[in-house]
Amino acid sequence: MTRLRLMFCRLLALCAICALPAVAHKASDSYLVLNVKGQQITGQWDIALRDIDFAIGLDANSDGEITWGEVRARHTNISAWALGRLNVQRGGDCTLQVAEHLVDTHTDGAYAVLRLTGTCPSGTQALAVNYRLLFEIDQLHRGLLRLDLDGVSHSTVLAPDTGVLTIKAGETSRLAQFGQYLVEGIWHIWIGFDHILFLLALLLPAVLVHAVTLGGTRRWKGVVSFRVALTEVLWVVTAFTVAHSITLTLAALQIIELPSRVVESAIAASVVLAAANNLWPVVERRRWLVAFSFGLIHGFGFASVLTELGLPKDALVLSLLGFNLGVETGQLAIVAVFLPVAYLLRNTALYRKGLFFGGSFLTMLVALVWLAERAFNLKLISV
Amino acid sequence: MFSNGMTVFFKIFAALACLWACLLPSAQAAPRLPTDPTEVLERLPIRPGDTTARELAALGAAVTLAARDTPNNPQPATQLAERYYELAIARGDPRYIGYADAVMATFTQSSAPAALVVRGQLKQYRHDFDGALADFAAALNADPAFASAHAWRGAIYKVQANYPAAKAECDALQKLDRATLYAGCIGLATAYSGQLETGFATLQRALDQTQDAGNRLWLLTRLGEVAAWRGKPEQAEKYYRAALALGIDDGYLLAAWSDFLLDQKRPAEVVKALANWEASDGLLLRLALAETVLKLPAAKAHVQALADRFAAAKVRGDTTHRAEEARFQLHLGGNAADALTIAAANYQVQREPRDARPLLEAAIAARNPAAAQPVRDWLKSSGFEDAHLRQLVEASAAPPLSAPKPEAKP
Repeated sequence: MTRLRLMFCRLLALCAICALPAVAHKASDSYLVLNVKGQQITGQWDIALRDIDFAIGLDANSDGEITWGEVRARHTNISAWALGRLNVQRGGDCTLQVAEHLVDTHTDGAYAVLRLTGTCPSGTQALAVNYRLLFEIDQLHRGLLRLDLDGVSHSTVLAPDTGVLTIKAGETSRLAQFGQYLVEGIWHIWIGFDHILFLLALLLPAVLVHAVTLGGTRRWKGVVSFRVALTEVLWVVTAFTVAHSITLTLAALQIIELPSRVVESAIAASVVLAAANNLWPVVERRRWLVAFSFGLIHGFGFASVLTELGLPKDALVLSLLGFNLGVETGQLAIVAVFLPVAYLLRNTALYRKGLFFGGSFLTMLVALVWLAERAFNLKLISV
Repeated sequence: MFSNGMTVFFKIFAALACLWACLLPSAQAAPRLPTDPTEVLERLPIRPGDTTARELAALGAAVTLAARDTPNNPQPATQLAERYYELAIARGDPRYIGYADAVMATFTQSSAPAALVVRGQLKQYRHDFDGALADFAAALNADPAFASAHAWRGAIYKVQANYPAAKAECDALQKLDRATLYAGCIGLATAYSGQLETGFATLQRALDQTQDAGNRLWLLTRLGEVAAWRGKPEQAEKYYRAALALGIDDGYLLAAWSDFLLDQKRPAEVVKALANWEASDGLLLRLALAETVLKLPAAKAHVQALADRFAAAKVRGDTTHRAEEARFQLHLGGNAADALTIAAANYQVQREPRDARPLLEAAIAARNPAAAQPVRDWLKSSGFEDAHLRQLVEASAAPPLSAPKPEAKP
């Protein structure tokens, strides 16, 4: 398996290119994300350590270096200082607390990350944000605010002369909201590696038939026409879609609820079984049935994302539809890329040995690791 | 044990997985909880206790004291703001501009000439030239002998390519008997308006007159630029090296020196000169240009960093580095159309030779000669003599089909 390990090293090296180098000199920004749902506020506020040091001092031992210990010792002061310069109002002043202190890195260095929670007197009135951080000592400072008000996003730059922002509730159109959930759906399929692998494991054999040769043994060979492959793909994709739409809706409306560890483990198991079925065929003809039954499980997986996003009460059906259509769009994009390529390559050894057997084998291995991780709550590989 | 097909599959898989990982919501930028209290999260740009820090602390203490005892006296605040301004220029760090602004915020109504001039300086840094000119005018109204207000006005008029107005400011400096300031002012104005020889001689005379390190730095840098425009690279190098030998951190000097080296096809020296200057956007651009020419592995990460920084600047509505951004889009982003838009917007505000060049280059690359018309007009009216710019103008004026391909790299 050294070869395999080499591949993974190369993969890691490739990915390291994404790493950010050199820290920049730029004017000061803080990154404020606020999610306001009714009366509840959650959020995150990233403030540069250099700025906090300039304002209230962090470098306790004056060595020019700010350590985690020095920051941790000042957490109470940092919270008081920052929250004293931010007001959120909805039917009166909302309370704000720092629930958690973390750190992160942006282009110009290290940042303190303040996880915020809060409660407002009203859950329906207009929202006002009054931002005054650092302005008294740095006039070029800007607060980059991303506000999600009852499922509708707003972004703005808060400056000394525009530090106050007021937004009426429900100002953005239904269409924009629909579009937002559509994008979330597409995004989720794209980052949901387990869903992609499951779909691909089912699609890989679509351009092949498991036929009896003259010698009496059964072997895989390419399908005769594109039409045959397309029909198979349509059956599989439609069955998967119908199934996960059903459970996604049921779970999102909280009619059925399953523990996430069970759902996530079952999803991993579905990938293992789908890939194993390619290596040791059990189900050959009615692959759409497999897609349907396991699709039911995947729907619960999608629903957990939607629960995290939060569904706006006033536009429940529309948002659900948007998210579902987003998932379908993402899926169709994968199929649109996969099918023509697979069809063209179907009679080559690359496809049958490399992609079909090799791919299914690797998929099965990866999914087995996921299954072990999720079922036994382990951390084996970090994907 | 692996067949060929399998190997190919692994490669495709690896590439796809990497692409996928790269496009995920930046995994490594996720907020985290450090475990080791001794882990160094950030290094401060100024160590508490070093000379600069002590100086700033003393100036800051004076501001606090004045706020209590003599709240109408802008002098301590002005001094601190001036020091911050110098730091911003020397290190290419705009945070100090914000600090200076905040220090001066209590004195926005002050009519003290020194306070007005600092405010004007800060405004010109943000390219608010009209606001800056108004402050300088107010300063001269209060004190007609305030020489630096004339010098600053002269500098802004030169950036706006208004040479008669610039020369009037230089003349005012002469009347005030400020020989070095006058020579620096008129020398550059003369060079910009088409007489490189005379301008060069005037700047050289100014250099001979002054022992002040700051003045010498500025004059040596400008002499290097003018010598390069005159087509005398050996001479230019001599001046640049003399400026560097002063040992003063200066972003402008390093930028001009690097541009000179890039023009001379000596990118390896740029990489050496800018090794520790990645923090400044303008210098990182030159570094990335040099690394790209040399095909160094670091180029890729630096190009990405620049893209991130320009994106971050855009989010906050910062447009002070548009000349650099145009060069970035043209030479590193491979996006001539965007480069042209940015260079043209920049040229609306700033019209120095170093602003003219990206506009010409972008117009050629985008095959849109009409967009470079303002530069051709300026060259015609000013008579500016740089041979390289003249060549670019000819290339940009040629009909699009026969236009030569833009240079791969500057």
